[in-house]
Amino acid sequence: MPCVIALIIFGIIGIFSASHRDLAKEAFSCVFKRITLRPCDTGFKEKIKGKVLSKIINRSTFLARMVNRHYEVLSWVFFVLMIGSTFWVFSGVYKFYVYGSCNGLNQSGFCAFDPSGENNKVTTLGDNSTCGITPATESSLTLKGVDLSSFVRKTNIGKDEVVVIGCYACDYSRKVYPDILKLIENKKANYTFASYPAKGDTTFLAEAGYCVNKIYGEKYWEFNKYLLEGEKDFILDKSNLNKILEIFNFDIKKVNECSNSTEVKTIVENQAKELKKTNIYGTPTIFINGKAFVGPKPYRVYRSAMNKYIFF
Amino acid sequence: MLDVNKIREDFSVLNRRGSYIPIYFDSACMSLKPDQVVKVMDDYYKEGFACVGRSAHRSGVQATKKVKEVRGIVAKFINAKNENEIIFTRNTTESINLFANSVGLSKGDIVLITDKEHNSNLIPWLFLRDKIGIIVKIIPCNGDGTFSIDNFSEMISGAKIVSVVHTSNLDGVTNPIKEISQIAHKNGALIFVDGAQGMAHKKIDVRDLDIDFLAFSGHKMLGPTGTGVLYGKASLLEKLTPFMVGGNTVSNSTYTNYEFLGVPDKFEAGLQDYAGILGLGEAIKYLNNLDWEEIEEHELKLNTYLTEELKKISKIKIIGPENGAERSSVVNFYIEGVDMNKIAIMLDEMANVEVRSGRHCVHSWFEDKKIYNSLRVSFSIYNTMEEAEIFITNLNKIMKIL
Ligand SMILES: Cc1ncc(COP(=O)(O)O)c(C=O)c1O
Repeated sequence: MPCVIALIIFGIIGIFSASHRDLAKEAFSCVFKRITLRPCDTGFKEKIKGKVLSKIINRSTFLARMVNRHYEVLSWVFFVLMIGSTFWVFSGVYKFYVYGSCNGLNQSGFCAFDPSGENNKVTTLGDNSTCGITPATESSLTLKGVDLSSFVRKTNIGKDEVVVIGCYACDYSRKVYPDILKLIENKKANYTFASYPAKGDTTFLAEAGYCVNKIYGEKYWEFNKYLLEGEKDFILDKSNLNKILEIFNFDIKKVNECSNSTEVKTIVENQAKELKKTNIYGTPTIFINGKAFVGPKPYRVYRSAMNKYIFF
Repeated sequence: MLDVNKIREDFSVLNRRGSYIPIYFDSACMSLKPDQVVKVMDDYYKEGFACVGRSAHRSGVQATKKVKEVRGIVAKFINAKNENEIIFTRNTTESINLFANSVGLSKGDIVLITDKEHNSNLIPWLFLRDKIGIIVKIIPCNGDGTFSIDNFSEMISGAKIVSVVHTSNLDGVTNPIKEISQIAHKNGALIFVDGAQGMAHKKIDVRDLDIDFLAFSGHKMLGPTGTGVLYGKASLLEKLTPFMVGGNTVSNSTYTNYEFLGVPDKFEAGLQDYAGILGLGEAIKYLNNLDWEEIEEHELKLNTYLTEELKKISKIKIIGPENGAERSSVVNFYIEGVDMNKIAIMLDEMANVEVRSGRHCVHSWFEDKKIYNSLRVSFSIYNTMEEAEIFITNLNKIMKIL
């Protein structure tokens, strides 16, 4: 058993370090001999045992004696632990690749590959006006029964459906937005952007956006892009809205009239209500074909969610 | 008293400041080399390297002269009658093979060896047994590993060759070569001595011991690897037929014929390790500057200390005589049921103590005695008492966990 463990360990280290390759070869020869029912005569087992014991003996004679006496049993224990941890590592790497977190989709526990948890950061819906949403788990996030018809949807030739619930004032929504655009472009996906005022009052921007779409159609997407990528403080200042509309040569009066209409205000209010039904607990929440991704994930996470076979 | 500290200054490997310095207890396998030896070899390559005995240019003549000088140094070192009795080889093993294959044995000839011979003095004879049908007889040693003159005397009759080790690499016992050669000669046998181990530890006088042939290696006596010697009495060497032939062994050749050179040239086929030979000469000069009595006294002190300390550990069984004085510079021991490789590795890892574990190329003895393997401590002029103490301290530590 020690030979098997050594073979695995040195085999892996040997890929990177030439000095361990010989040990890997010795371990292989030892394992091969054992498989073919011959004694492992390379002295390899004792070599490794000697090295292990000499490290322990200087710390504790008692421990060294125990290890020496129960070496085979301990080897088995380590073997099982190693297989377990190897599986765990592979599963972590897989989850990190596909979900952006070693712990699984939208899990914020510690992940060695993303120690600061960047991929799971969200603007949580606090106890401000828009709240009242009970903290939910990822499993309760859903688009079922949510009426998205009043949101702007870009139809594309692809079959995938992307729904982005983002907030104009939130850094994480703004961070992920360029990736979303890239994703839509590459995958030719259908795309709905739903503004949710998770932080501060951005309802006026949602209302303006609704009206821009109503009046100018496709131009909405440029406007929306600006709201998410332009200078944040400038955009969030309500008094600058007209200047922004001016940049796009929109009819300021017309858009304002539309935004201030009770009809539009009701629609935008209802939109927020509908979004609450998704059980969101933070922005950005991105639904890809119904599956929710909370927080700004790396681009590959979204892409692999759309790929048939993870990588392609 | 041997000035060990002064000697140690000559061995770079023991003075590598800031880096790994071994406590080297494996001199029976190979000794360390003093800087003087390394320098001579370095000089040969840097300054005067050329063919020996072939080229007439100045470098060639110079190199030829130097190698001839070393032949003389070796001859004097073992008290041979003249330098032509010295044949340069690669090592002891080659010397033994050269002798075994040149001495003209034929089917039914009897060769006597002891039961503790190194593979190099066992396999060549067994090989000839299988190839031409010689008879190999094994002289059993006494229970403590010492040579049994009685057993030998009983077996000598009819033997053509007696091939025995001088100092055993297994247990350090030095055989009574003078007595053995007397008995051998009285019975018309030739005596061949495997001198690999003893050369750096004891003075060997081939004339006093009346040895017919002697083999040894440079690398065990402070010299370079790849150098060995076969000594043979001139009159006997003349009768040997060369084993390896080719360039350097003939004075002339035609497409159908050749004329061998005389001794020793006809046994030294091909271009040799001249740098090594010069290094060997320097190693002998180094040994000549020391006092044999002091060397033996120093080694006795170390062996006695180690033996007494090991005797205190009940599980340890020393191979060979109990008395350290009878085991030259070797302390070889085993512990029943323990693979000594593990202990050797631990000593190395824990305290840089380098010892040899295994069967020391005497597999036959271990097989016969049903002992798995052993750990051998072998020392030389550069080892100190302090090193021996470190070895014992760490071994005691290890014993506690077994
Ligand atoms: C007693 C004895 N004979 C022969 C040999 C073989 O020497 P070499 O390997 O230099 O040929 C050794 C080497 O350990 C030895 O100890």
